[in-house]
Amino acid sequence: MQTQVVLIRVAILVAALGAWEIVGHTANPALYVPPSAAVPALGRLLALDSYPDLAQHLLLTLREILVAYALAIAAGLGCGFVLGVNRLVGRAYGPILAALYAVPAVVWYPSLMLFFGLDAASKIAFGFLLGFFPITLAVLAGIRQVNPQLLVVARAFGASGVTAFRKVTLPAMLFTLVGGLRTGLALTVIGVIVGEILGSKSGMGSLINHAYGLFRTDDYIALVVVTLVLIVGSDAIASLVERRAQRWTE
Amino acid sequence: MNQARESVRVRLIQMLSIAAVLLAWEGVARAGWVDPLFVPAPTAVAGALGRIGRAALAGLGETLLKTAIAYAVAVVIGVGGGILLGSVRALRQAVNPFVIALYGMPKILVLPWIILFLGFGAMPAVVYATIHGVFPILVLVTGAVRDVDRNLVTVARAFGARRWQLYWKVVLPAIVPTVLAGMRLGIVFCLLGVLVVEMFAGVRGMGYVLSSLANGFQAAELFAATALVSAASIIIVLSLASVNERLSQWRGESR
Repeated sequence: MQTQVVLIRVAILVAALGAWEIVGHTANPALYVPPSAAVPALGRLLALDSYPDLAQHLLLTLREILVAYALAIAAGLGCGFVLGVNRLVGRAYGPILAALYAVPAVVWYPSLMLFFGLDAASKIAFGFLLGFFPITLAVLAGIRQVNPQLLVVARAFGASGVTAFRKVTLPAMLFTLVGGLRTGLALTVIGVIVGEILGSKSGMGSLINHAYGLFRTDDYIALVVVTLVLIVGSDAIASLVERRAQRWTE
Repeated sequence: MNQARESVRVRLIQMLSIAAVLLAWEGVARAGWVDPLFVPAPTAVAGALGRIGRAALAGLGETLLKTAIAYAVAVVIGVGGGILLGSVRALRQAVNPFVIALYGMPKILVLPWIILFLGFGAMPAVVYATIHGVFPILVLVTGAVRDVDRNLVTVARAFGARRWQLYWKVVLPAIVPTVLAGMRLGIVFCLLGVLVVEMFAGVRGMGYVLSSLANGFQAAELFAATALVSAASIIIVLSLASVNERLSQWRGESR
């Protein structure tokens, strides 16, 4: 049964690629880029033929992601705990935060471009903005999951504030928190890449725009594949961390 | 009594904080601590709203129209596909990994390609926004249909329900909350998609208005336009949420 399902999935994938190959060849290979054209383009890209400075752009994008994510974690944890610890503060500012979260984040991007210019800073700011909300909301949700009676008992047995936090609050909310951190990373990555594609001079997004602007569609597909590997890789690391944290709480 | 007093206090804190932020912002801008070219005072933004109001509203109308079309298509495909995938097990097992992968993939990567195919205009925005909005709905509805209580289905079958009756009387009522949750998620995704396309390759619409104001360094007008879109999307989401709440109350009463 299981192997049968896998076989069907592989068959679907092969059929889709085959159909793409045939349609692409008969219609317009320059626009459709069938797999037989995309694979050599990927080879050229990885051999640094089509874009010799690929590594620099890739590193810049990675650096933007890391800085934005670090800022999002710091601000998200800070904001989340401040809002979560005091009930009244949380009730007052939580809804404002939720309302802002309902705005499609891309409306802020032009303002960020105006503030921070076309360089890395505006991408970092946008990635930060996207990553900040899920982390903050996860901290808020996590704190709500902590059983207050456990805290009272811990304090009654003489646990200090720090110990109570480490032994009671943190384990109880860790699962939700780590989930939020993973979502935050995914959104930070998307934010940086969206920012780069909407306007930049360097980074993977700018290369994608360059290839698209010059109608080098095969190079464009190859760049998208490399960017996807970056995205999937970052999420794989995050999911590994998530599983570790799960085991630690159990 | 106590609760009423607390919610009054909460409202008071909210209003005072917003007023304080606006006042501080105004003060900082007036005192010249920040460059008014980049951070215009709230009063300047309010004035700019009057100047760009007509053009911005036209852009907003166009954006919302595209969003509505994309949303309608996304809901139909998402709910229909979700019911199909949720009820046919073999199909779900074969196709689901691809759906999940496409859901997780940042759609912005295929945007240049969509533009190459469809050119500049309303069409790429509608298509891209539909792709953006359909996946959360599809994934949620698939899960909800899959998890419909087997016992209900078995009992309905045992009592001789026809296929359409099974869907109309058992499956559909069971998945209503999830469908609504997906629809609320979907509208934000659709609006986001339209705005992104308008910013990337638009010649009209709110996304185009925003990016051209940014390119022209018209900060006050840009802030005013941003506030306008934000307010519109908050209103849309909140009203969907209240419809949602009313519907679930209605469901609760009818039981």
